[in-house]
Amino acid sequence: MPKCTINGQEIEVPAGSTIIEAMHGSGQHIAHYCWHPGLSVAGVCRLCMVEIEGNPRVQIACNTAVTEGMKINNTSAKVKEAAKWGLDFHLINHPLDCPICDQAGECGLQDQYMEFGKYDPEMAERKVKKHKVVDLGPTVVLDSERCILCSRCVRFTTEVSKTNELGIFNRGDRSEIGVVEGKPLDNKYSVNTVDICPVGALTSKDFRFRQRVWYLKDADTVCNGCSTGCNVKTYFNREGLFRVKPVHNKDVNGYWMCDEGRNLYQYANREHRYVKAMHRENGAWTEMTPGAAAKEIAKFVKGAGDKAALVLTGQYTNEEYARVLQLWSTEVKSKKVYHWNSHEKTAADFDGLLIRGDKNPNTKGLQAALQQHQLSGTWAELEAGLQSGQIHTVVVAGPENLQFAADFEAKVALINKAKKVVWMQTAKHAALEKMSTDVWIMPMKSYLEKDGTFVNYSGRAQNFKRVTTIVSEALNLTEAMELFAGNQLTIRPQSDVLVESDRPADRVRLEHRKKNEFVFRRGPL
Amino acid sequence: METKLLTEHYHVENFHTLTGYQAKGGYEVLKKALKLQPQQIIDEVKASGLRGRGGAGFPTGTKWGFLPKNNEPRYLLCNADEGEPGTCKDRVMMERAPHQLIEGMVISGHAVGSKKGYIYVRGEYVHVIRILETAVKEAYAAGFLGKNILGSGLDFDLDVYGGAGAYIVGEETGLISSLEGDKGQPKLKPPFPAVQGYLRKPTIVNNVETLAAVVPILKDGAAAYRKYGTEKSPGTKLFSLSGNIVRPGNYEVPLGYSLSDFIQKEGGGMRPGRKLKAVIPGGSSAPVLTADEVAKANLDYESLAGLGSMLGSGAVIVIDDSQCMVDLLGVLMHFYHHESCGQCTPCREGTGWLDKILHSILEGKGRLQDIDLLLKVADNMKGRTICALSDAAALPVLSFVTKFRDEFEYFVREGRSKVKGKAHAQMHH
Amino acid sequence: MFQLSASAQEKIRSEMKRYETKESAIIPSLFVAQKENNGWVSDEVLQALAKLMEIPHSRIHEVFKFYTMFNQKPVGRNHVQVCTNISCAVNGGRELADHVCKELKVGYEEMTDDGRFSVSKVECLGSCTTAPMMQVNEKYYENLTPESAMNILRGLK
Repeated sequence: MPKCTINGQEIEVPAGSTIIEAMHGSGQHIAHYCWHPGLSVAGVCRLCMVEIEGNPRVQIACNTAVTEGMKINNTSAKVKEAAKWGLDFHLINHPLDCPICDQAGECGLQDQYMEFGKYDPEMAERKVKKHKVVDLGPTVVLDSERCILCSRCVRFTTEVSKTNELGIFNRGDRSEIGVVEGKPLDNKYSVNTVDICPVGALTSKDFRFRQRVWYLKDADTVCNGCSTGCNVKTYFNREGLFRVKPVHNKDVNGYWMCDEGRNLYQYANREHRYVKAMHRENGAWTEMTPGAAAKEIAKFVKGAGDKAALVLTGQYTNEEYARVLQLWSTEVKSKKVYHWNSHEKTAADFDGLLIRGDKNPNTKGLQAALQQHQLSGTWAELEAGLQSGQIHTVVVAGPENLQFAADFEAKVALINKAKKVVWMQTAKHAALEKMSTDVWIMPMKSYLEKDGTFVNYSGRAQNFKRVTTIVSEALNLTEAMELFAGNQLTIRPQSDVLVESDRPADRVRLEHRKKNEFVFRRGPL
Repeated sequence: METKLLTEHYHVENFHTLTGYQAKGGYEVLKKALKLQPQQIIDEVKASGLRGRGGAGFPTGTKWGFLPKNNEPRYLLCNADEGEPGTCKDRVMMERAPHQLIEGMVISGHAVGSKKGYIYVRGEYVHVIRILETAVKEAYAAGFLGKNILGSGLDFDLDVYGGAGAYIVGEETGLISSLEGDKGQPKLKPPFPAVQGYLRKPTIVNNVETLAAVVPILKDGAAAYRKYGTEKSPGTKLFSLSGNIVRPGNYEVPLGYSLSDFIQKEGGGMRPGRKLKAVIPGGSSAPVLTADEVAKANLDYESLAGLGSMLGSGAVIVIDDSQCMVDLLGVLMHFYHHESCGQCTPCREGTGWLDKILHSILEGKGRLQDIDLLLKVADNMKGRTICALSDAAALPVLSFVTKFRDEFEYFVREGRSKVKGKAHAQMHH
Repeated sequence: MFQLSASAQEKIRSEMKRYETKESAIIPSLFVAQKENNGWVSDEVLQALAKLMEIPHSRIHEVFKFYTMFNQKPVGRNHVQVCTNISCAVNGGRELADHVCKELKVGYEEMTDDGRFSVSKVECLGSCTTAPMMQVNEKYYENLTPESAMNILRGLK
């Protein structure tokens, strides 16, 4: 484990580390474009210059191994001059697209330009013209003029997705990224190239021109697309969610996430959600507040015994399962709980990178909770119960990510056989509104609006915090079940101690809430 | 002072055939070398002081010594890409004496423990590729290549590979990339080819002339080789003499030979009515020398380095007073702009920028600050890239602008050439 | 619809076995295919090669676009490449190129209407001591004057 000194700080690094890895690992800042910890070293941007004692020339940090006793700095005037010119060469042919470029606000060139001093360009010649708005595939658009040819995207399609769609064609400053005729950039991980592109050369068709990044807040959570549970960062504001990007977790998803998971957020935005509770009786739908509906539901659910069955999908949090199963047993007094395991047969599927066959984020959590409460009802029993009429009422905690519930309509048709159905659902689905029986639809909070824990395919429990609230009228599973059990709802903080957070925004929020007690104590609905 | 060490029999009509080559003692040195231990050959080459004849001038024996001392398979690649403007000496060697190269390669293969070699020839040299392929076939038939060469128990397979037109594959790792079936883009160093080269195996890349020189060195010994040349630059070298000269051609002279003598005696001096203005002594990437500096220069590594230039590939390009230096720099900048592989930013963008600035000046639209801008850009392209093409583009800019600044300033101020009286657009479209 | 002839396919297959990896055969195979397609490489040619060699199309395309000897558009039966780099430039190489264009009534990177000639200015061809010079298809013609160059060209079909 060689020791080195970087900018005066002594650091010990694993053998074989490069200087940039040492700096990255110890939180030191060094400007770079082409290096990425999840890809091979290219060494082409020439921006990560460092000065090494004993070496008259500046070196690149990404391809220089750390040796014992090495003294490194990237703050000297020599290094700054080299980095400034490195940036200059990137800018001389770069189009002044900032006003129309998505990357503005999170652009590597803008960041470096602000860092190395806002200077006037010395380039007075005509800039190189290349293709703009090139359709690379169904999800990604290329602007060759903005491209700094760092080759991250090409390395991604070669090393990570192993689909080899992208190449760099031509020589010199005529070089352009591209795909070949008949083979567009269309694999299950394409949009990762947009994440890793340091500039606005690659843009996501989903996000293009929709929002300026400085109007977006971000919060970390996990993806609920499958049982892998990739760690993600969601970007949102009052209008809803705009995009999702992966967050590095070396044990779960590395640096990447799949495109399917990335597009899921759309169901959580308000326009796709149930906002009011709905009740269908005698062919007509009436709307009411969730609280009012829950009061009515409690009348036939509380104490219903084995006439009532609970159907759960693996898409809710461990905390919700714990409380719900407890209430179902003590207040509803029923032992009939069934696991809607929509992907039982494909659960073991794995594409080798990130995508797994179980499209539920918390199947393991649900199975553990069921086991703990010794509930082992099978789906066949539910079907038999509905058939015979023994099961009168079915309460369903429906799946959030409808994209993956291929058997949704079939299950709806089955459950429609019950006399009374309470269906708790996040996003709208036409099949529910076609149900013919006495059905209550309860609007649910998406997992993005809750704190909780998902357990992934390998048994790893991942805790996440609420990202934002999109439909404040909706309830989470615990709240709904409390109301069905005839309890009142009080907002119980997770603990009695107000948890301090180090994000300044959170601190301000907390102070504001402490002052505003009226908001804090919510009475019965 | 032409010296006929390598080129002794190049005038012989059939020297390029196996019969012709053997008639003049060809492959006798190989027989001798096969009886030696590899380390003996490496030591002899080290002692001779032979330095890479392609351009870098790195001591050959030392380079061979970087290979791992184990049984790991390694490759010997001959760099016959010869793209440096002004250079055509390797072409002559391969046209007239392909077997000299082959013999040199087998001996070198034995020295470095390589069982497989390639001669990478630039694609435009179609006839050279054909000559080499024929010679290789002859050598196989005679048992000088292949398995158990001349009963020595040693194997060496050789093949010829043709490129497809890119100056950058003359860079050793660019050549390796091209041979691997990729774009000919240089690779990051470290790792160095001797450790991880072609297909990630240890590889030695040597110039045509370097490998051919192994033959006379092994024939008469290092001490005899050192009788030619100087202390630090021993031996002979082939020089391509071209440009504004009476007798352009390829000449073998001992290193240390006076550049002025070379131009006057071998080259026949200037054309009638013309005066010497400048000389590029080592291929277009070498800093230009003024006529005064030429008078002080000898054709060896130290003398030229001392004058701020380099021996390089040994391409001596003579420029007389009919030429406009701004115009010629424009020709060179167009070349480097065209040939940059595009991988790393300073070179990719810098070569384009330099070309454009020169073009503006040549069209009569230059600004006075462009001259200093050329120097600044070139200065910041040096020493910051994966390979030396960026430096090769920068050095001519720095030397031309510094030494012939008056011509640049005239062009900017007057909008036309001091020498030719016209702007570029009126001369060439 | 471009198709590689049987002999071309055989040549390419043998090249794929000739070197350590089949990828090394990309350059030789592109030359073979280019000859079959009247001296230039079209997208169909690349697709045919990708299929035969079982190498990703993008890889072959990258190699194709990188090297100057692969022609990206049709060229004349006699592709005239005049060197205009330094040793030739100081010996009138650029004037020679202009002269050829004028006499053949064709522009740079263009082809004559009858498809007989196309003209390009190229970088150093390694014939500096015999400047000025040109390469037509695979042959070098050296020590030229404007007149001798035109005599040579007029004699080519």
